[in-house]
Amino acid sequence: MTLFDLVIRSMRKNIKHYYLYFFALILSVVLYFVFATLQYDPAVMEQSEVSANMAAAFRVAGILLLFIAGIFVVYANAIFLKRRSKEIGLYQLIGLTKGAVTRLLIIENALLGAGALIIGVGAGLLVSRVFLMLLMKLIGHEGFIEVSFSMAAVIQTAVVFIAIIALTSVQMLFTVYRSTLLGLFNSEKSGEHPKKPKTFLSAVLAILGMGLIVFGYWFSGHMLNNMIYFNMLAVLASTILGTYLVFRVTISWLFYQIRKRKQGHLGLNNSLSLAPLMHRMKGNANSLTIITVLSAMTLAMLAGSYSLYYSTEKETRYMMPFDFAFDEQWLADDEISAEAFEAELKEKEINYTTATIELLGVEWTYEEGIFPAFMDWSGGIYNTYIVSAKQLQKAGLQVDTPKDGTVIYHSSEMSFLAKDMKIPFEIYITSSEPESKYTAVKLGEGNVINNTWGPQFVVNDADFEKYKKAMVPESIENMSPEWIIKSIRIFNITDKSQLALASDIRTQHWDEGSWSYGADYYSMYERSIQSNGLLIFIAGFLGLVFLISTGSILYFKQMTEAEQEKKSYATLRQLGFTVQDIMRGIIRKQAFVFGLPLLIGLLHSVFAIKAASFLFMSDITVPASIAMGVYALIYLIFAFLTVGYYRKTVKSAL
Amino acid sequence: MNTIHSTGNTVLHAQNVRKSYGSRGNVQQVLKGIDLRVIEGEFVGIMGSSGAGKTTLLNVLATIDRVTEGTVLISGSDISKMKDAELSAFRRDKLGFIFQDYNLLDTLTVKENILLPVSLGKKKKRVVEAEFNAIADILGIKDLAHKYPHEISGGQKQRTSAARALINKPSMVFADEPTGALDSKSASSLLGTMEEVNEQRGVTIMMVTHDPVASSYCSRVVFLKDGTIYSELYRGDKTRQAFFQEILKVQGVLGGDNVDSI
Repeated sequence: MTLFDLVIRSMRKNIKHYYLYFFALILSVVLYFVFATLQYDPAVMEQSEVSANMAAAFRVAGILLLFIAGIFVVYANAIFLKRRSKEIGLYQLIGLTKGAVTRLLIIENALLGAGALIIGVGAGLLVSRVFLMLLMKLIGHEGFIEVSFSMAAVIQTAVVFIAIIALTSVQMLFTVYRSTLLGLFNSEKSGEHPKKPKTFLSAVLAILGMGLIVFGYWFSGHMLNNMIYFNMLAVLASTILGTYLVFRVTISWLFYQIRKRKQGHLGLNNSLSLAPLMHRMKGNANSLTIITVLSAMTLAMLAGSYSLYYSTEKETRYMMPFDFAFDEQWLADDEISAEAFEAELKEKEINYTTATIELLGVEWTYEEGIFPAFMDWSGGIYNTYIVSAKQLQKAGLQVDTPKDGTVIYHSSEMSFLAKDMKIPFEIYITSSEPESKYTAVKLGEGNVINNTWGPQFVVNDADFEKYKKAMVPESIENMSPEWIIKSIRIFNITDKSQLALASDIRTQHWDEGSWSYGADYYSMYERSIQSNGLLIFIAGFLGLVFLISTGSILYFKQMTEAEQEKKSYATLRQLGFTVQDIMRGIIRKQAFVFGLPLLIGLLHSVFAIKAASFLFMSDITVPASIAMGVYALIYLIFAFLTVGYYRKTVKSAL
Repeated sequence: MNTIHSTGNTVLHAQNVRKSYGSRGNVQQVLKGIDLRVIEGEFVGIMGSSGAGKTTLLNVLATIDRVTEGTVLISGSDISKMKDAELSAFRRDKLGFIFQDYNLLDTLTVKENILLPVSLGKKKKRVVEAEFNAIADILGIKDLAHKYPHEISGGQKQRTSAARALINKPSMVFADEPTGALDSKSASSLLGTMEEVNEQRGVTIMMVTHDPVASSYCSRVVFLKDGTIYSELYRGDKTRQAFFQEILKVQGVLGGDNVDSI
C-alpha cells in the first residue's frame, strides 16, 4: 500500500472529522471569491471610478477579509489536528516516520484544499450574483445587472488559498514534529483541572476586570476633548483588558464561590454547566475574549454603518431643508440661474413652490462654557446668519416662532451636542448698534437654509426687522461684503417622485468641480446613499464573515467538547437521567458559552455607538437596534446548531 | 437446591430472557432464554467466559438494554414493558451501578459525583448530607470528599463509584467487573466492603466478573455458557476459600477455557 492509498483510505474513514475542516475551507473560499468577483465586476468598477472611496474601501475590506479567512482556517485546522491526534499517534506507533506522517497529512490537506477551491469557486459563482444585486440595490443603482465571470477573481482566490493551504501545511508539520507520542494520545483528554484560586489575588483581579470595563464605559462618554485619540486608545485598552480579566479571572472566581457554597450538593444542571465550564475556563478565556471583542467590533461597525445608511435621508434633510436653493451671489458661470431653472420646471410640468429668504450676517459671541473646549476656535467670535421664522414658514419649513429677544439655534453640525448643552444660554450680537443680547432657548433640528456652515439663528419677524435696522455691516470683518446681506431663492418640488427629474435640470449645467457647493437636496442624497450603501454593504459582508467565523469557531469547539464529554453523558444516562434532564444542563452551558460573549459584546458595542453618536445628526437608536438584533439572531443560530449536536451526542451516548 | 434460599422477597425475576443482535439474515442470539430469580439481600456473581453473555445479561437486567423476548420484573415492576423515560426514572430511583472503569465525571469532586443520583430528587439537603456521611464512612472516602477523580487512586475511585451506587438506597446494585481495573489489594478491599454493605445494610448486589476471587465474595454464583445458565453455586456456610475452590472447579469444567480466569 502506498502512502497515497493510505491517504485515500484515511480520508474515507475520517469523513466525519474532515467535514468540519472542509466546511471551514469551502466557506472561506466562497466568501473570498464573492468578494473578489465584486471587486472585479465591471458594474462595481464603474461605480468605483465615480468615487475613489469605493475602490479604497474595497481594497481595505479585501485585506481584512484575507486576514479573517486565514485566521479562521488556521484555527479550524488546529481543532481538526487535535481531534485527529490519536490517529497521528497511531501512524507513528505502527512505524511510520514523522516525515511520512507529515507527507500524509500534507497530501490530504492539498486534496482538501483543491476540493474546497473548486467547490467554493463554483458556489461563489452562484451566489455572487445575489451579492452584486444586493450591493447595487443598496447604492441605489437601477437597471439590469450582469455578473461576468472574472478570471482575475478566480486567480486571486486561488493564490490566496494556496497560500493558506501552505500555511496550514506548515502548521501540520509543526504539530507532528513538535509533539511526543504520549502527548498525541492524551491530547483529546487534555484534562485541565481547576485549582483553588488564590483568594485574595483572584478577588482583586476579578473586581479589577469589571472595574476596567466600567471605567471604559464611563470614559467613552467623556472623551470629547483635545486628547480624543489618546482617550479612544485608553477606552479600548481598558475595555479589552477588562474583558480578558472577566473571562480569565472574574468568572472562574465567581463560579468557584458558587460551587464552594454548594458544599458538594451541586445538582445535575450545575454538574453539566458550571463544572465543565470551570474546567475549561483557562483554555477558553482567550478564545472567549477574542470572540467577545470581535463581536463588539463587528456589532459597532454594523450598527454604525447601518445607522448611516438608515438615516441618510434624514441627515441630508438636516443639511438641505429645501429641495433647491439658489444663491445669486454664489452662482458659478456655468450654473443655471433661479429664473432659468424655474422656466425649465414649468416647461417640464413639474409642480413646485418657491420663496425668497433673506439672510443677515451677524458677528456674535457667547457665554463661556457652553461648548466643549475643543470646539472653541477663532477666539470665541463667530459669524453666522439671522433668519426670520416667518419667511421660513412661508417657504414651507416648519419652524417655531421664537418670542421677542430669543433665538432658536439651528445647526446640523451641532446636533450631537444638543443633549449636553446647557440651555438656555446667552448670545451677544456685536455687529449691531447698539449691541444686542439674545437668549438661545432651544436647539432646532438641522439647518434652516441649504449649503451653509455654522449655526443659524431663527428669530421672529419683529426681531428680524429690528436687527436689520440696527446692524452695522461694516463691523463684520470675517465675511465678504456681498455675503453679509443676501437673499436666496428656494424651490420645493411638490411631487417628490419628480425630484430626480428636477435635479437633472440643475446638474446638467454643472461640471464636476462645482458640485460641492450649491448642490441640491436630491443629488446630495444620491451621493450619500451611494457611499453609505457601499459602506453598509462592505460592513455587512465583513460582519457576516466575522459572524460566521466566530460562530463556527464556537461551534467547532463545542463539538469537540461534546465528544470529549460523551462518556460522562453515557454514565449519566446509565445512572438514570433522561436525555431531557441532561439537555437542560447542557443548554445552560451553551447559554453561557454563546450568550456571555454576545451579551458583553453587545454591551461594548452599545457604548461604542453611544460614544460615536456625535457623528450622527439624528437619533440612531432604531437602526442600531435593528443591526444588533439581526446580528444576535444569526449568531444564535450557531447556538441552536450546537445544542442540536449535543442532543445527538447525548442520545447516542447510551 | 433453590429451595434452601428461596425464602425472602424476590427482588429480580427474569423469565425466559432472550437477546439477539443484528438484523434479519444475520441474527446473533446472545442470550438464549435465561430464568433467574434474585432474593432480597443476595450477592449474586455472574461468571462465564468471554462472549458467554455476562455483560449483555447485566445490561438487560439493569434496564440499560432491552430484552428481545421474555420478561424482567424488578421489585414487582415489569421493566421490559416500560418506556424510556420510565426506565430512566426507574434506574435513578431503584438501581445502583458500579462500572469497571468507574465512570466518574472528571469535572466533579468525589462528593459531587456521589450526590449525582440524588441531584434531581426533592430530598432535603440535610437528609442527603446525612446519607452521604453514612456511606462515605462505610467506604472510607470521607476525607476525599473535595478531591477530583484525577487526584485519587483507582481503588478510591471505585469506592466513590460504589458510594454513588448506594446513595439512593437502591433495590439492587449492578456491578460490571468492578475490580477489573484494580490491583489485587484494592480489589479485595473493595470486595470486602461490598460484602459488608451486602450483609449489614442488606443491599442486593449482582456482579459480573470473570475473576473467581471476586466471585468468592458472593453468596451465589451463576455460570453462563453460550447464553444459557450452565450452573449455579451457593456459598452457604462455606468459607470463602472453600467457595473459591468450588468456583474454580466449575470454571474448569466449563469448557476448559481458562483464558479469562488468569
